[in-house]
Parts: sequence; structure tokens; C-alpha cells
Amino acid sequence: MRAALTRRAAQSSPASPRCVQCLQRRRHSTYNHFITQNERSPEPGAIRLAVKDNIATFNLPTSCASSILAEHPSPYEATIVQQLREHVNAHVVGKTNMDEFGMGSHSLNSAHGPVRNPAGQDLSTGGSSGGSAVAVQVDDADIALGTDTGGSVRLPAAWIGCVGYKPSYGMLSRYGVVPYANSLDTVGLLARATTPIRASIFDSSIYQLTDPKDPTCLSLKTRQRCIKVTPVTLPDLSDVTIGLPLEYNIAELDPSIRSAWSQTAELLAANGATVVPVSLPTTPEALCAYYVLAPAEASSNLAKYDGVRYGVRSTTSDAAGDTLYSETRGVGFGDEVKRRILLGTYTLSSDAIDNYFLQAQRVRRLVQRDFDRVFRLASPLHEPVQFDLSDMPDTTDLQDKTGPAQVDFLLCPTAPTCPPRVEDVKTRGSVASYVNDVFTVPASLAGLPAVSVPVRSQDQGTAKHGVPASMQIIGQYWDDRRMLALAELMERLGV
Amino acid sequence: MRRTATAELGRYLLQGRLSTRGCLKISQRAVCRQSSLRTSLAGASRSLQTASTSQPAGPPIVPLRKQWRDEAKQAKKHGKGKAKKDSQTVDGWELTVGIEVHAQLNTSKKLFSPAVTSFNDDPNSHVALFDVAMPGSQPLFQNEVLIPALRAALALNCDIQKTSRFDRKHYFWWDQPSGYQITQYYESFAKNGQITLLARDGIAPQDGDSVTIGIQKVQLEQDTAKTLAQSDDTQLLDFNRVGVPLIEIITEPQMHYPRTAAVLVRKIQMLLNTVDACVSGMETGGLRADVNVSVRRQGDPNTPLGTRTEIKNLSTIKAVEDAIIAERDRQIRELEAGGTIAGETRGWAVGSTETRRLRGKEGEVDYRYMPDPDLAPVVIGEDLVQHLRQTLAVSPDMELDKLIAEFGLTAKDAVSLLNLDNGARVQYFYRVLNGLETMLQANAGGEEMPVLKSYAGVVGNWTIHELGRLTTSKAGPFSQVELDFTPGGECAQVPDAELSQLLYQLYTKRITGKVAKELLMGLYLGDLDAGILETIESRDLWFQELSTEEYNVQIDTVLEGEERVLHELVKADVFPQRKLMFLIGKMIRSGPTERIDPATAEQLLRTRIAELRAGA
Repeated sequence: MRAALTRRAAQSSPASPRCVQCLQRRRHSTYNHFITQNERSPEPGAIRLAVKDNIATFNLPTSCASSILAEHPSPYEATIVQQLREHVNAHVVGKTNMDEFGMGSHSLNSAHGPVRNPAGQDLSTGGSSGGSAVAVQVDDADIALGTDTGGSVRLPAAWIGCVGYKPSYGMLSRYGVVPYANSLDTVGLLARATTPIRASIFDSSIYQLTDPKDPTCLSLKTRQRCIKVTPVTLPDLSDVTIGLPLEYNIAELDPSIRSAWSQTAELLAANGATVVPVSLPTTPEALCAYYVLAPAEASSNLAKYDGVRYGVRSTTSDAAGDTLYSETRGVGFGDEVKRRILLGTYTLSSDAIDNYFLQAQRVRRLVQRDFDRVFRLASPLHEPVQFDLSDMPDTTDLQDKTGPAQVDFLLCPTAPTCPPRVEDVKTRGSVASYVNDVFTVPASLAGLPAVSVPVRSQDQGTAKHGVPASMQIIGQYWDDRRMLALAELMERLGV
Repeated sequence: MRRTATAELGRYLLQGRLSTRGCLKISQRAVCRQSSLRTSLAGASRSLQTASTSQPAGPPIVPLRKQWRDEAKQAKKHGKGKAKKDSQTVDGWELTVGIEVHAQLNTSKKLFSPAVTSFNDDPNSHVALFDVAMPGSQPLFQNEVLIPALRAALALNCDIQKTSRFDRKHYFWWDQPSGYQITQYYESFAKNGQITLLARDGIAPQDGDSVTIGIQKVQLEQDTAKTLAQSDDTQLLDFNRVGVPLIEIITEPQMHYPRTAAVLVRKIQMLLNTVDACVSGMETGGLRADVNVSVRRQGDPNTPLGTRTEIKNLSTIKAVEDAIIAERDRQIRELEAGGTIAGETRGWAVGSTETRRLRGKEGEVDYRYMPDPDLAPVVIGEDLVQHLRQTLAVSPDMELDKLIAEFGLTAKDAVSLLNLDNGARVQYFYRVLNGLETMLQANAGGEEMPVLKSYAGVVGNWTIHELGRLTTSKAGPFSQVELDFTPGGECAQVPDAELSQLLYQLYTKRITGKVAKELLMGLYLGDLDAGILETIESRDLWFQELSTEEYNVQIDTVLEGEERVLHELVKADVFPQRKLMFLIGKMIRSGPTERIDPATAEQLLRTRIAELRAGA
């Protein structure tokens, strides 16, 4: 191990960039889902792990699919990669393609070209962890790491047809994950089924591990408090209440998705679960809040890419152009990244911060309160809030005179549509793409766990691409384990 | 009043760990320490730098006295000596100044990484991944930074905030690797403080006996990297300094005289030193000040303050005063010529007479302050604040009062003593005084001790003036060697025990002042083979005073041919002291100088004259 470290240290010096390249190969993967691949084959019994290109690994560069970090050799390894190597014998098979810095919903915004959907070359894979979703789908990996800021794991899982899990914020370490929007970023996992994900994180006890290098990773004390108040096993379905958030039944919802949603709900009810409608009134504002907050944090996080200490630097002077580093940053960043940096720069500016950034933070609180109100379990992070009926919108459905129903999990579609065609995505422009995140963003804003699972719909409309519709289960904070158990149960029931 | 090293205290207060090594150190110290009540009021443990801090090698520190002298010389040269006093006010105009002081905290770790803080180590030798903004690295707040920061805030009488937060201040510059500085813009850890400046601190005479300036807030923030400009167009970067913890102290705009503003900066520096919050003085780059200057016409108190300009990065106390004067005069000139003042940032070069424009409002960056999403709020417990408040070193003002009232030093000497060698000289003073006192006690053998002021004054005089004289140009070719003091007040060239011995012999009149001065010079130059006592003995430097008869013979000799002087002394209504001194001088010059004590000579001469007056 020590020898390996020494060698790695040598690699990070500029004199020996070739060593990095000899361990990797820029092989053309069928669906352009890998950026670099490990030449060494995994030992027998090892779990093949694909890692999104914005998570630091030894040996393979960490470029976030951006020209500005082309070939960037990370001098250290992300905690989550190290944990998976040590606890479940994971072997990193390669770094997966993605939207540059995680900014995108279709895995098209990459310096290495778009990821293609195995179900149809003209279909979007979803993003930004499209490469990771494809890697597990085509069996190049057993599990894949992605990052989920506003749906970047769940959306590609839905459009590729695999399982995508976003954990509670703060459960898994982000150390070594290149931030897009720190307060929303989580490391997520993708696999063809739920079981390998549950096994690698929960059976391995990785979910209990703290990381002193990540200040947002829960401390031991908080973790113990969460573990204490959160039940471990899923009760019989007859004791489970599932909520269908009414606000998610939007006009834009694809009819085939809507029918898959109701079929899933009916099947769960048929198996004993109580299914009730619930209201999350702030949902319509959540998407706007997300697209204010995430770019704001991104504009700040991406200020460090100036080419001075690492990454690619323009050949002209740093001072060339209008402002310092404008050449390097102009050449290095792709269009979507530039768009979000500009957006964030504006919403943080002194004239706009009150109307945008602060307002969005308020919306974020309301979104989180909405969830706390409908979940039966209290959040282990906040003091329980007393909800007054008079504070609730008139549209709130009441279960009885004591108030609206409280539920264990929420069930809703992962995305409002089936995978769109890449051509349509390109012609409709970026703002239209943002709409795809409408169902995934609320759980991100509230820091809640969510998982996207494919369901077998009877509807011929979805089957035509060979991609089944996907449903999203959202749980209370730290209720990840039972949420994944429900996902596994749904797989067994043949939902 | 022992203060504990930040690292040690941090481990105890923040993690509940008590080091046995530290305990042993405490008991040893307690034994060695003089029990005398006056042992070091302030800064007795200034030497207790946090354990892993690399010792600053630092540029040579110019002694304050030398600096003052040089400044006075310069001023004289430019004919400014007198002008300065008058420069405090301009008729018809009122000046308003607010100051931001940046000081580097005395900690072993950086603010957000466990990398060691250093001063002159090899470039880029203390750099964590976060310090160079490596993608995926995160800030880790180092709790122990709070200790010096809180000491500083308490010394400035601030309210400590239970909860404070960190924000990002965005701007592009190569010394700022993240593209933002982490600071406390929205919620700082200390607010609403104040500092009182007294006449003896040297404030402008117009401010009277004292003036109290409000401290708006004190915030924690990161330092930037050091840029090393090369001869060609290259800039090299040293990231050792990046992320080093600073505090920014922001005053209310309540100063109206340039001198007072400069005194404020000096006093803040002294306070931070005393409470062991700050690494080094302004002259070594540990302290920087930005001043905000505006002027308005006098007379109507309802006139709003004029447009202010900010002068950035003043690194000496003199520069603060000079820059304010220059900027005030420029603004008044502009306004009197019918112009307006633009809110802009200006710079000041040492030795210049004008501030120069750096950038205007249009060139101003919108810093886009955003709460750092990675950093949790800092929650400061009342117990920590209480502990630090109780162990806070005595304020320089209280120590100054004591030096004047109890030890009989003049206000001017007391101020010098506290300022010299970053506070080490006063520690040296206490050491010498303790040594002398012990010897006097042994000598008294149960008899009454002499008055404290009488011998403390001698110690004060020698530790300030005689020691200062050693390093002046008159001292010969070796005068360049500055005296080195440890923060605890030990001096290698003139050990305090030796000076105590010397002053004991002098005070008890066993050697003359002349011999004492020569011995001190010998000690300083390393010319003495043995200690003071042995040297006096071996070279027979003891003061063998004349007997009364011998004195009287001397007096007879001196009075011969001085009938006119004698006549005046006997007849004059007002006793002509100067004539008497003339005779004493003559007596010392003509007689065996080394055996005459001027005091005895004066006394006997007075007796003789008194007899004559009585007889007349």
C-alpha cells in the first residue's frame, strides 16, 4: 500500500503524466459511457465498480467531463471509493461519462461527446450520471457511483431502466466528489436491481461510517441519534402507508407514465398497503428554487478553475481578454456550465440576491416542511414542528378531523416523460430540459432519500422503446434502508 | 495569570483532553516562578507559542525607540517637526475616519485545514489539498483558532456571538486559489466592542484626556497566498500563507484626528500582543490596516458625512497617520475647488505625500457574498468565553498604571517599556527587578527595605535608557548588534541576573555609576571573562569613598580661588543651585574621581556653606 502511494505521489508530479496514461485506456465504449477504463481486470470475486468522472480515484484522471480538467490526475482518492474497495472488495473498472460538472439532464454536455442510450441510439440517457447508468445496464459494471444534486442519478436510471438510489444528504461522504452544488450534492448508486445497492451500503455497514474530511458528513453523534429513532426493517405491507403526492399529477405528465403510476399504486394496495393521496403544496415552486440555488453554488464552486494550479490553462496571458482568466475559463468550460455560472453569478449579485437566492432558500425550507408534515416518522434532524391546520392550504386533503394522512413513503414517477429523442432535446433548448427534474428536485432540496425503480407497465406506449416507466420512492430522512427494502419488495411483487 | 498554549488549551476546552506533559510543565513553572505579586502582569507566557508553529525567523525588528528617533530625524530633515502638530486639524473642516485592521492570529493550524502555519519556511511546504482548492477537497474548521480570536475580541470588549457563520467573498486573483475568500460577512463572531485611547497613548491633543472608539465587529477570515514577483513578467506563488487565520477588526467611523487613528492601530496591536492573540507586529507584516476617510464642513452637525474613500493596505503606524492627512487634504482641496469626491479605493506608498487612485466604483467587484454550504455554523459556548475572560492577561492600560503608580516610572518611560521588543522588554524589567529585590532583601537582614520606587526607578532607567544606549552609534563598531529578547524577557547579551548584580552594587553605592556603565558595555560586548561580581573583584573596581576628612580637604582645595562664587553662595537670597553644581563638578574633576560620590560631595559642601551662611 505504501509503495502504491509513493508511486501515485510520483504520478501527480507534472514530470510523469505518462504513467497515468499507461494505466488507463481511452477505449471506445459502445455507448460512449466510459471516459477512461482500467486496463487491469478485476480479481475473481471482486465487485466491478464504475465511477462517475467527478469522483476522485487513483490511477484514472478525474476530469468531470470538462476540458478545463482534461486528464486531471487527482492526488487523492474519494472516501466513498476507498470505502467500497475496502468493505465490499470493489474494483474500479473505469470513469463514466457525464454532463460536464454534473450540469445537465441528458448526458449530452460532455467534452467527450454524448452518452448513447442502449435502448435506442437517438434517445436521451438522462443525466447527468448517464455513463454510470449505461455501464450497469450493459453489464460493464455490477454497481456504479453517480452523483445526484437534483436528480442526476434517478433520471438516467429511469431512462435507461435500472435502479438509481440517492441517499439521505450527509450519509455518504462527499470528500473527493467535485462539488456542483454542495448543499444538494450526494453520492448515489446505480445497479440493475436494488439488492446490490443495499448490500454494498447497508450490509457492509458503510452507511455507519463517518468521515472527518467531509464537514457535511454526519458526525458519529448525529448518526447514532438517526439510527436510534429510525426503524430498520420494513413491516408487513398491511402496516405501510404510501402517499401519492397530488401536485405531481401535472398536466405535462405523459399518459403512459400516469397509468404506470396508478397501476403501481393499485398493485401495492392489492398487496395490503394503504395508499392515500397527500399534498405537498410547495412542489410547483421547488424547481424554480432549485435552478436558483444550484447555479448560485455552482458559480462559486467553479471559481477555482483558473488553470493556475491544475487543469488546462490558456496559452495567452491570464490577464488577456476582458477580465482575469477569461480566456482560460472561456475555452475550458462548455456552454451549459457557462450558462449556469452566469445564472448563479447574477442571482448572487447584490441587486438580485434578495429576490432570488434568499427567496429560493425560503422556498427550500417550505419544501422540507411539506415533507415533514406528511411523513409519519419525525425527522431526526429537526425539532418536531407543530402543524396547524389553519396554516395549511385549503387544498390540503384531510384524512380525518385531526389532519391529513401521514405516510411512510411517497410514490411518484421519477420523470414526467419517457426518454426524449436527443434531436428534440437539442431543438427545445436548455430551459425545457430543466423541466425533466421537476419530480426529483424536491427530495434533493429536502435532503431526503429517494430511489428510482423501473416498473413493468402494461402500457404499450412505454414498451415501444424497451424502456419501462420508472417510479420514485421518497422516504423520511435516514429512512433509506426501509425505502430500499420497499423497492426490493416491489421488484419481487413484479410491479 | 498563566496563559496556556493555544493547542493545549484547545485540546482541553474543545476535546476535554488534558496533557500530562502540560501538567508537569505547570508545576515546574509554579516552582520556578517568583512569588512576588508583581511578576509579570501581562504576557508572562508569551513564549508559549502553540507547539507546532514554526518559529518565525523574521526580518530584523526595528526597536521602537530607534524607529521614533529615525522618524524624528526624518521629520526634522523635511522641516516637518512642527508641522505635524498643526496637521491634526484644518480650519472649517471635520475629518471622519474608520479603520479596518487585519491581524494574523497566533495559531499552529490554518483556519480550514490542519496544515501548519509558518513564517519563513520553504515555499509551498505547508499546504493541504484544500489550501490549493484541489477539486473535491473540503474546508475543515480548526476549533483551536477560536482561542486567540476570542482573546482578541474580549480584549476589545466585544459581545461574543453564540452563533456565527462563514460566507464566501468572491473575486478572482491569483493569490486566492478558490476564487473566493471565506470570511464572516453576515454573522461575525464578535460585535459591539470598544477601545479607549488615553492622552498618554499619544492621541491628538484635541481629543483631550481620552476618547472611546466603538468596534463594530470582529470577524474570522482566511489570508491569501504570497506573491513573489520575479524580474521578468512572472509571479511565483507561495501557498504557505493561504488560509492562515486572520481577524478583521472594523471600527465605527468615530475618529476625527489623524494622530488618534494611528494611535488606535498601535493600541490594537499592543492589546493583541498582550493577550497573546496575534503573531507579530505591524512591522513584520502581521498587521495591516485599511482606512476610510471622509471630510465635511464644520458647523452644522446635521450635515451627512462626506463621501468616503478607502486607503488599502497600510502596513506601518506612521503610514496610517500620513495617509490620512494626505487624503484629507486632497479631499478638502477637491471640495474647495468646487469638485466632488468619488467613492473609490486608493493606495499609499511609504514616503509619498499623496494617495493615489487604485480603482473607482465602476471597477468595484460585486463580492456576491454567499453562505458557505460546506461549513456548519460556529457555536461558541459560554463556558469557553468565561474561561478565556478569566485567564485573559491584564490589559496594557492597567499594567501601565501600575508601572507609573507603584514603580515610579514616568508615563513616557512606562509606555516605552511596554512597547519595546514586542513586550519582551517589560518582562526583562520584572526579571531584573526581582533579582535586585532578592539581593536587597538578603542585605537588609530583617531591617526595613528601601522604598520600592527608589530602586524600581533605577531598574527602569537602566533597562530602558542605559540598555538602549548600548546599541546606538556612539557605542562603537559593535553597536550594530541588537539585543535579543525572548518573549519571556530573557536576554542573551545582557543576562538579567548580571544586570541585577550590577544594579545591586550600584544602588548600594559599592560601585560608581561610571564603573557600572563601563561594566554594562563590557558585558554587552562580551569583554568580561567572568561575571560582574568577579570582574569588580579582580579588577578592583569597588568604590572606595573618601573619608569625611579627605572630602573636607578636597573642599578646601576646590574653594581656593573661588571666593567670588563662594560669596554669592553665602550671600544670595535665592540659593544659586547652579553655582553649587559648578563647585561639585570641579571637585570631581580635580580629585580622585573614582572615589567621589557626588551625593556625598554635595552634602558636605552644603554643610560647609550652611556653616558660612550661619557665620555671616
